[in-house]
Amino acid sequence: MRKIETSLAALLNDIGVFYVPKEWHFLSVNGIDLGGGKIELQWIFSKYGVKDEIVIYYALSDYDTPVPSIVDLIPSAIMGEREIVDMFGLKVDGAAKGLYLDKDSMKYPLRGEA
Amino acid sequence: MKKTIQIPLGSQHISLLEPIRFKFECENEKIIGVDADVGFVHRGVELACTRSFEFKQVGYVVARVCGLCAITHSLSYTLAVEKLLGYEANDRIKYLRMLMVELDRIHSHMLCLAHTAENAGFEALFMQIMGDRELIMDVQEAISGNRVQFDYISIGGVNRDMTPELTALIHKNLRLLSDKIDALIGLFDNNWSLSLKYKGVGVLSLKDAYTYNALGPLARAAGLATDVRAETNDFPYETLGYQMILESSGDIHARNFVRLREIVNSMEICRNIIDNLPVGEIQEKAKGKPNGEAVVRVEAPRGELFYLVRGNGQNMLERVRIKTPTFSAIPAMMEVFKGSEYADAPAILASFDPCMSCTAK
Repeated sequence: MRKIETSLAALLNDIGVFYVPKEWHFLSVNGIDLGGGKIELQWIFSKYGVKDEIVIYYALSDYDTPVPSIVDLIPSAIMGEREIVDMFGLKVDGAAKGLYLDKDSMKYPLRGEA
Repeated sequence: MKKTIQIPLGSQHISLLEPIRFKFECENEKIIGVDADVGFVHRGVELACTRSFEFKQVGYVVARVCGLCAITHSLSYTLAVEKLLGYEANDRIKYLRMLMVELDRIHSHMLCLAHTAENAGFEALFMQIMGDRELIMDVQEAISGNRVQFDYISIGGVNRDMTPELTALIHKNLRLLSDKIDALIGLFDNNWSLSLKYKGVGVLSLKDAYTYNALGPLARAAGLATDVRAETNDFPYETLGYQMILESSGDIHARNFVRLREIVNSMEICRNIIDNLPVGEIQEKAKGKPNGEAVVRVEAPRGELFYLVRGNGQNMLERVRIKTPTFSAIPAMMEVFKGSEYADAPAILASFDPCMSCTAK
C-alpha cells in the first residue's frame, strides 16, 4: 500500500495525471475523522492484474471546506462522494445528500463530535 | 420533443429480493434515464464498529452486514486486523477459510441464477436451482454449525475443524451438484426461450466496464480481466486450481455463464482444498491490539469487497471502512439500463445480483 499526500486544491490535477482507466481500478472515497474538526479524505485505487498494488491519495480537510468532485474523471466516484456527504456532512460539488439519510437530516454519523 | 414518462421500480417489487428504488425515464418502452435510491436498509454498521463494539467483537458485527456473503465480510475484517497485529495464519487455517469462501460463492451464484430465471418468467427453473443449492447450504451448515450467519472465522483462526465425516459429505454433495450444474449449463446455453430473454439484453460493453469501474462477474462478463483472487497474495489460489473466468458479450447470458463456470471452478477448488488440507492448528494466538492502518480486498461472490481498518492500539477502532461490490457497481448498472426495454428491467436487475444489505450497510 502506497500513500500519497495531496491537497484539495491539487486533487483534480494529481488524480487526473495518475488515473488511467485501463490500468487503475477506482476502489472508493473514504473519510476518517481525526478530531478537532479535521478529516482525512482518501481516494483509493488498485492496479489491474498486479498483486497487492494499492495507492491511496489523501488530503486533510475540515468540515466546511468544499471538496472537489472527481466524477468528471471517474464517474463511479459519485457513490463514494454522496456517502461522505451523508456521513460527514461535507460539501462535495454535485453530490446530493440523501444516499442513506433523509435529505433534510442534520445528523453526520461518522463525525467525531456526533 | 418526444413525450417521456417516469416509471418506478421498487422499493417493494415482486422482482426484488431487497429494497431498492429505480426511477426510469422512458420513451415508449425504452429506458432513456434512470435514478436509483439505495439506502433503505442503512443500519449504521461502520459507526457501530467504532463506537459500540471492541475490535474482537467487530468480526461478528460485520458478518451481519449481509446474509449471503457473511463469510467474506468476517474474513476481510479478520485479515485486516491480523495484518495490524502482525499475524499470518498457518496454511490449514487459510485453506479452511478459502473453502468456506468458495462454498459461499457457489450458493450465492446459484441464488442469482435462480433469481434471474424467475425474473425471465421461468419459475420452475427457479425452484429447481434453489433446491439444488441446498446441497451447498447443507455442507456449510455441517462445517460451521450455522446455516446463514456462520461466525466461522475469528481472529487467529477458524472456529471448527474438518473431520473425515465432513470431508465425505463435501465430496458427496459436490459430486451430486456437479451433475446438476452440467445440466444447467446445457439448459442456459441451448434453451431457445431462455436465450430470447438473455442474449443481447442488458449489455455492458468493455469500454463502459472500465469507465464505470465494474467489478466481479459483471466486469468479467464484459471481458474485463479483474478478480481479487488473482490480485492479492493472501491466499494460494493458483496452486488450488483457480482460473479466471471471462466472457466477452457483456449481456445477461454472459453474466449467467461467468457464474456457471465459476461454480464449476469453485467446486474444483473446494475438492483440491479438502484433498490437500495441511496439518496444523485451527486456532492460534494473535496477540496485541490493532495499531495503524490496513487494507484488505477479498473476492466476494458479487466482486471485490474492500475493508480499511485503522486502530490506535486501543480496544476501540478509529475507523472501519466497508466498500461492498454492489455499492461500486451501481453506476455501471444504471448505465446498462439506458437504452434497454422497460420489460427487460427486472431480468437485467437480477443479473447484476444486487445486494442492498451490503450496499446500505
